[in-house]
Amino acid sequence: MTDTEAIKIVQFKGELEIGRKGEIHDALAAVHDARAILVDLAEVSYADSIALTELLRFCVKAQREERPVALLIQTPQFARLIQYAGLASSFKVFAQNAEALEYLQTSIRS
Amino acid sequence: MKRASALSLHCPAHSRCVAPARHALAAFLRALEFDRHLLEDVTTAAGEALANIVEHAYADGGDEADGRYLELTAEFDGSGTLAVDVADGGSFIARHSLPGRGFGLRIIRTIAQRLTIDTAAGTRLRMVFECKS
Repeated sequence: MTDTEAIKIVQFKGELEIGRKGEIHDALAAVHDARAILVDLAEVSYADSIALTELLRFCVKAQREERPVALLIQTPQFARLIQYAGLASSFKVFAQNAEALEYLQTSIRS
Repeated sequence: MKRASALSLHCPAHSRCVAPARHALAAFLRALEFDRHLLEDVTTAAGEALANIVEHAYADGGDEADGRYLELTAEFDGSGTLAVDVADGGSFIARHSLPGRGFGLRIIRTIAQRLTIDTAAGTRLRMVFECKS
C-alpha cells in the first residue's frame, strides 16, 4: 500500500448544518479505519457548530487511535467558525490540498 | 446599509426550517448591502441560535402543531445597529457546562457586540451587531 492509498478522502459540499448531522456522522464513520484521513471541506459554503462538533469528535477519536486527520478548508466562514469556537488548536487545517496530503504522508511515515 | 428595515419569520421548530430562515436573513442583509464578512458572521450567529432551538429547546421533538416554533426577527435602525432576535417557546439549557458542547453560544458571544438571553417566557436571544463602517 502506498502512502497515497493509505489516505482516505471524505468530501463534503454545500451547507453543513443541523439538517445534515446524520449524514456527516455516517460519512466520517465510513473512513474511521483509514491510516490517515483527508476531510475535504473546500466546497463547504456554510458550517455550524453541530457540524463542527461532529468533526471534533471524529478528530479526537482518530487522534487517540494515532490516525492523522487533515481538514481542507478554503471558505472564510468555515475558517472563522473554527476560530470563534476556540478550536483552532484542535484541528490540522490546510488551505491547499497538496499541503494537507503532504502532512498526512509525513505523519504516516513517522 | 442606509434605511431602517425589519424582517420577521415564524416557523415550526424543525431542522428543515433552519436553513431557509438563515437564507432569508442573508437575503435581508444583502438587500441592506451588508458586506460579505459581516453578513456571514451575522448569519452564522443566527444559525447557531436557530439550530440550538431545534436541538435543545423542545427536548421531546414535535412541530408547530404542538406549539413548538422558532421565531427570527431582525431590525436594522438605519444608522448602523442591527438587532437579531431568535426565540422559542421551550426551555433554555446552559449547554456550556457540558464537555464538548456549548460551541454555539461561544460563537454567538464572539460575533455579537451584545447578547442578552431572556428566559421569562420561552427563550429569546437578542444579538446586537454594530455595523458602522
